[in-house]
This record gives sequence, structure tokens and C-alpha cells, in this order.
Amino acid sequence: MDTAKPQLMDRPKAEAKHAASEASGAALVSALDAVLGVQADVALDAVPVPHRRVERWKYTPVATWWKDVLAPEVNTVADAGCEANPVPGLDAYRLVFVNGTFDAAASDLPVHTGVTCMPLSQRGDAKRQDVDAFSPEGSDWFAGLNGRYSQEGLYLRVAQGVELDHPILIHHHTCGAGAFNVLRHDIAVALNASVKIVQWSTAATGADGSVNVLTRADVGQGARLHIDKVQDEEGTVRHIAYEDIRQGRASHAEVHTITVRGAWVRNDLAFRINGQGAHAELNGAFLPGEGEFVDNHTTVDHRVAHCTSSENYKGILYGKSTGVFNGKVFVRPDAQQTNAYQQNANILASDKASMNAKPELEIYADDVKCSHGCTVGQFDSDALFYARSRGVGLEAAKAMLVHAFIGDVLKGLAVSEVRLEVEHRLAEKHGWDVWSHHPNDDA
Amino acid sequence: MLKINELKASVEEASILKGLSLTINPGEVHAIMGPNGSGKSTLASVLAGREEYEIEGGSVDFDGADLLEMDATERARAGLFLAFQYPVEIPGVSNINFMRAAVNGKREHEGREPIKGKAFLDMVKEKAQLVELDGRLRNRSVNEGFSGGEKKRNEIFQMAMLEPKFAILDETDSGLDIDALRIVSEGVNAMRSPERSFLVITHYQRLLDYIVPDFVHVLVDGRIVRSGGKDLAFELEEKGYDWIKEDIVA
Ligand SMILES: Nc1ncnc2c1ncn2[C@@H]1O[C@H](COP(=O)(O)OP(=O)(O)OP(=O)(O)O)[C@@H](O)[C@H]1O
Ligand SMILES: [Mg+2]
Repeated sequence: MDTAKPQLMDRPKAEAKHAASEASGAALVSALDAVLGVQADVALDAVPVPHRRVERWKYTPVATWWKDVLAPEVNTVADAGCEANPVPGLDAYRLVFVNGTFDAAASDLPVHTGVTCMPLSQRGDAKRQDVDAFSPEGSDWFAGLNGRYSQEGLYLRVAQGVELDHPILIHHHTCGAGAFNVLRHDIAVALNASVKIVQWSTAATGADGSVNVLTRADVGQGARLHIDKVQDEEGTVRHIAYEDIRQGRASHAEVHTITVRGAWVRNDLAFRINGQGAHAELNGAFLPGEGEFVDNHTTVDHRVAHCTSSENYKGILYGKSTGVFNGKVFVRPDAQQTNAYQQNANILASDKASMNAKPELEIYADDVKCSHGCTVGQFDSDALFYARSRGVGLEAAKAMLVHAFIGDVLKGLAVSEVRLEVEHRLAEKHGWDVWSHHPNDDA
Repeated sequence: MLKINELKASVEEASILKGLSLTINPGEVHAIMGPNGSGKSTLASVLAGREEYEIEGGSVDFDGADLLEMDATERARAGLFLAFQYPVEIPGVSNINFMRAAVNGKREHEGREPIKGKAFLDMVKEKAQLVELDGRLRNRSVNEGFSGGEKKRNEIFQMAMLEPKFAILDETDSGLDIDALRIVSEGVNAMRSPERSFLVITHYQRLLDYIVPDFVHVLVDGRIVRSGGKDLAFELEEKGYDWIKEDIVA
């Protein structure tokens, strides 16, 4: 063997790394088997444990996941000392999960004709939605973990034509060390029904746990589903979230993902558009600070004709932070007259921040309109100088540009109290006082 | 008010201002004329604190303070204003919120509370009237999609809002129609006072019929090569710049 060739030197090293991640994954699985118990016989060996050689994990380091797992000591809002409702002024139904356990005392379930809403563990004989060949459980190792261990979450059925009067707030809270929270939200919205969901994740100062959430939603013919998803977790919490959305004819589904805070966050959204005339909308804003990592992977699968999708992700990266965006759009041969739009724009607010952005369009139909754009840049220096020449401070000028930059994403949030609280928390995190008297959208 | 002494500045290795001196006393209006590319806007940017320009020598005293030691924000808060030759568009930031941030920046510097909503809106109304700024422009994004003339009016509106001690107007007349030129000039004249000074950069003598300067300077190749009274502008209008350039060479 010619050991002078660099590839030959590299390969054993890569294989060793691969073997190490497989071993770490196996160790985590046996710990989880012991602490959480196997809930469903999901085989995890069909897919590799993520490491840098796996395309979908190329820019996403997973080393922080290999931590000890402990049964959490705290399972209630009262013991955790957190807010039951993290969104002031929000009038919503509420399900609170502390370290993965449903807290009935802190929750407020809807009593509404045509609405079945309960913690997943209490659904009795009612079935969860089926996992199929396209579900993430079969193709992604962490989603597989969710399949194997999930037993708690939201179980929601909205009957034909029913429009729920208030949003449903799902609040995940993580505290302490070693918790591994696995949650499954199972949602079906029937013909012409409509519901708004707010998914809000918090973690206590110094928390060191893992969050693995999978939301599966079936949006029926003519139905509407809005999800406002906010991640604002302190400590060193790792958070991975899947949305597996299946859309029927003329349905409308939106997911807005705002990452305010999080040491390690990955969102993996998949929209399958199965019925004609449907519309999918995916927007996101992420503003990682020093040391934070935020990854947004999205897939929009246009399977039938006459559908539209619109995607808009904005990132502003501070300090030594890292961002990842990967946006897949498939337009299958039958999906004629598809109109798919994708945009990802990023600002590096620090020269130590880095962003890996990649749009991936695969178009197999000829009569379609697909556009995409992806930019990574800095703050507009002309605009900053212009503002400063009027006496606006540098940081305030930047905050103004940030507000303008992510304004369209924030405006898309379905629930206005959520938008206000997101603005408040972002301002608090970054020390922006101008936002308080800076409601651009009043214009 | 402003004392520029032997100022030298460069951008991207190219030296643009090559030893420029100029003194402006309180209440005075100075006009600067000069060929394209001679450094007029560079002077304006350097005075306003644009960091892309490298100061290579000289000094600028502004009301007893070392102007070159201050950053752009501090200069504005100290009372310096620049009406841009090319005002910048800022999509997503409304004109009115932009001005509120500016006014409050100045108030913070003066140790005052942020302005109250009603007082601010009254002020906006009054100052917009001064330059007949279309009310609809206040709520639009800063300069975005404004016509050339609307942008220039907006600059003077901003100047009126901030009430600077010293204002530089960089080709505010270009892009204005005949009526707008008169209206904007009247707005500027209304702000003239014994405490406030202006530096007016223009290519055309016509503006100086409206805003009558105390002094006219000619800037060529980064230096002031000739100064005079307002008659100098007429002479330039008639003869162009060649005779001055020839004078320098000779
Ligand atoms: N950022 C920059 N980078 C490179 N060159 C520059 C920059 N800014 C100005 N210059 C150069 O400096 C010189 C002076 O430009 P400046 O804009 O000051 O001229 P001006 O006198 O205002 O001209 P005009 O009458 O056309 O407005 C020009 O040659 C210009 O190309
Ligand atoms: Mg110029």
C-alpha cells in the first residue's frame, strides 16, 4: 500500500470517526432504552448515526449529543419555577410539558365541539397517524429515536368545518441536567377545519438537556394549519425538531420558526403536498449569538399540479456563531403549474460568524415557476452611515436594520402576541432598546 | 464654527483631498463649486465621519472640538448635518421611525427624555410643511422608491427636524424641478440664523440666486484654488473651470 497518498491516510481516519459516532449512538440508545423504555420497535441500525460524511449532516456537528442521560428530577411547572404561559397576554389553550412530562395542573385544555385535544399518553385506543416510507423516522437517525421513545405530546383532532376559537399553546420546558425529552405532536385537521398552534420551547438558566420533538400533521382538504414555533432556550440544551406535514387538496399550512436562543438547534421541516390547489408556507428567522449553532433544513415536495409554496428564511449571525440552511424543493413530473418560491438571506454581523447555505431544487416538470435566492452578506454600510449621520448610534442603527431585515418574517407569525414577545426577547438578548419604540409595522 | 486646516484624505489608496483649508464662521453661508470628481462629496463625507476615508493629515475644529476624533453619530449629535448628494434607501424602516430614532439620539445626547408621540408628530407636521413634503412619504420606507426630487426634499425635511448648527448641502438642487428648487431654498433660508452656518455644494449659479452665499470657493483636484464673493459663481457660469485650471498651472 502506498501510504504517501493523502486519501489513503484520510480514509482510515474517517472510518475511525464513523465507528466512533456509531459507538456513541449505540451508547445513547442503550442509555435511553434504560431510562425512557422502548415505546415502539423502531430499528435504528438501518440509517447511519449522523456524522460529517452523511450529506444531511455535513455542517452539523452532533458531538454535544453524546451526554449521559438521567431521569429528570423535576416534572412540573411548580417545581421548575417557570412560567406556565411564556407569552404574556396570550389567550390560548395550553399544554405544558416539563422535561417531557405533561403537567396537567399547568395546562388548560379546550372543551370545544369537534375538537379532541389531550396529551398523547391519554388517547387510549385512538391511533396515531401512520408512519410511511417518507416519514423521517425511516431516514433520519434522530427522528428514529423519536419513533422509538416518544409517548407524550399533543394529540389533536379537529373535526370537519370546525375552527378553534383560540390558539393552542404547546410549551416545552427543560431544566436541570441530563433530561432527554422526547415529544410527539400528532395533529389532524379535517375538511375545511382550521387551527393555530404555538409551539414555544424554553429552558432554565444552566439547563443541560436534550429535546427531540416530532410534529406530524395531516391537513385535510380545504383545512388550515398555522404553527408559530419559537425556540428560546438557555443553558446548553440541544434541540432537534421535525415537522412532517401532509397536505390535502386546497389546504393551507404554515410553519414559522423563530430561533431566539439555543446552544444547538436543528429544525427539519418536510411538507408533502398531496392535493391540488394547496399552499405551503415556511418562514424562519434565526439570530444566534456567541457560541450558538442553528440549522434549518427544509423539504417541500410538490407531488401534484397547481400548488404553491413560499419559503423565506432570514439569518443574522453574531459573535462566533454558526448557521446552516438547506432548502430542498422537489417538483415531481405530475406537479405541473407549480409555483415555488424560496429565499434565504443572511447577514454576518461578526467576522467570526459563519453560514452554510444551500438551496437544492430538483424540478422534473416543465410548466412550473420556481425561483430561489440565497445571499450571505454584511450590514449595508451605506445605510449604517446614513443613519449615523442623523445621530443614530451604531448599535441602534444596526438594530433598526435587523428589524427591517426580519420584519417580513415576524409579520408572518399567525399570533400577534407571539410576535410581540419574540421582539421583546430578541431585544433583551441583544440589548436593543430602540425596538420598544420602534414599531415599523404601525406604518 | 468650522475650521479646516490643510486636510488630506484618501480612499482606497487614492488621495482625493490634498491639503484643503477653509474657515466658516457662525451665520455664514459658503458655496463650493468645482468640476466633477474634484473631491466635493469626499469633503462632505469626511466631515460627516464616513470611515472608509483615510485621514492623512490636517485638522478640523468644530466649535472648539476636534471633529476628526468624533465618530459619525457624535458629529451629528454635536450639530453637524449632511444632506446627501445621493440619499440612501433603507427598505423596511419607515421614514417616521427613522426620524424618531434620530431625534431621540440627539435628545439622549442632550440628557433629555425621548420625545413624546404627540410632540413628535406635531414637529413632523410643522417641518414637513416647510419643504412641502408629501404626507404620504412620512410612512414609506426611508427614500425607497422616492423620486429624485422627493429624496432631496426629504433631506431638507430631516435637516429641519434636527436643527443642526452646521449643515452641508451636497448638490441638493440637482433633481429638483423649478418650483421645488424655490420651495426647498426657501426652507433653507428660513433656517438661516446668526448661529447656524451652511456649506452649499452646487454646480449651478442658479441655486445661489435663492440661497445667497457670503463666500464662493472653487475646489479643483482636492484643493480650494480660488475664493471670492457670490460674483465668482457668475464668472464660473460664464467661463467654466478651464481658466482657473490654467491659472493654477501657470
Ligand atoms: N469610495 C470610493 N472609492 C474609490 N474612489 C472614490 C470613492 N469615493 C470617491 N472616489 C473618487 O474620488 C474622486 C472625488 O469624488 P467626489 O465624489 O468627491 O467628487 P465630486 O467633486 O463630489 O464630484 P461630482 O461633482 O461629480 O459630485 C473621484 O475621482 C471619485 O471617483
Ligand atoms: Mg459629489
